[in-house]
Amino acid sequence: MKDLVKYMAQALVDNPDDVDVSEIIGEQTSVIELRVAKEDLGKVIGKQGKTAKAMRTILSAASSKLHKRAVLEIIE
Amino acid sequence: MDTKTIEIEGKTIDDAIEKACQEYDLPREKLNIEIISEGSSGFLGLVGSKKACIRASIMSIDLTMESPPKERMESTFTAAQSEKADVPRTEEIKESLAAKAKEKLDGILKRMGLDFPVHVEETSETIILKIEGDGSGLLIGKGGQTLDALQYIVNKASNKNGKGRKRIILDTEDYRKRREKTLIALAEKLGEKVKKTKKPVTVNPMNAHDRRIIHLALQDDKQLTTKSRGEGAFRKIIIVPARKS
Repeated sequence: MKDLVKYMAQALVDNPDDVDVSEIIGEQTSVIELRVAKEDLGKVIGKQGKTAKAMRTILSAASSKLHKRAVLEIIE
Repeated sequence: MDTKTIEIEGKTIDDAIEKACQEYDLPREKLNIEIISEGSSGFLGLVGSKKACIRASIMSIDLTMESPPKERMESTFTAAQSEKADVPRTEEIKESLAAKAKEKLDGILKRMGLDFPVHVEETSETIILKIEGDGSGLLIGKGGQTLDALQYIVNKASNKNGKGRKRIILDTEDYRKRREKTLIALAEKLGEKVKKTKKPVTVNPMNAHDRRIIHLALQDDKQLTTKSRGEGAFRKIIIVPARKS
């Protein structure tokens, strides 16, 4: 999961080296925290949160396959 | 190239755009359309109706490539292709764009644990990536939301550096075609209802692509008009009975 978020984020931003992803694994639900360079924040959120929403949708699809849940948090 | 600009009025924006297309005898994708005023049917379609006004001019080749085309355009495929033949350099960029898009999609699918093969098809305006699914529908999601999300991300990631943009369309298990059929059937069903009750019907909020299918499905019906209301993700179609003139 962590890998997936990292891959997507790095594909979207201008500074892929500054993408940092950490995962807090829970029994049912995992929280994935995404940190990017300040100027790239808009790129991972998108217009009206469209990009963030798309990433969350993909993440839910991927985790539902494993019968788990994952929450994506974008940390400022 | 002729670069004159004309102003056209119509009952709706779609209507005006169609007139503009006829005027130039060109598909909508080849025109530069600037909306001057959005038409409104006024209060309950009775009072204060306003005509839509647009300004249209022919798009230059550069512009055509920079702005993502609204839709697949098989009909103009051959014409557009012969035009592009004069600019082989951009063609190269586009080829690598298809490869880049496939690579991005492969990468995401792999990390989703859905390692399906992807086939690339390319027309002059679009890149179609077909994912060979397992029939589980996991890639499609409710109302196609997963497929649309993937398509959005792949578009964003691949078209990052503005030049030689192309629209990327994702498909799996022939979903796009099936969806189109469902939407046309829905449009016709609702259209009948509107004709029978003579009252407007609102369709659920939809994305631009789905709305377009509905607009197109009902555009030839003289007894109905369609329009869009709302903003962003909440934009939805209203089917209204055409006013007798």
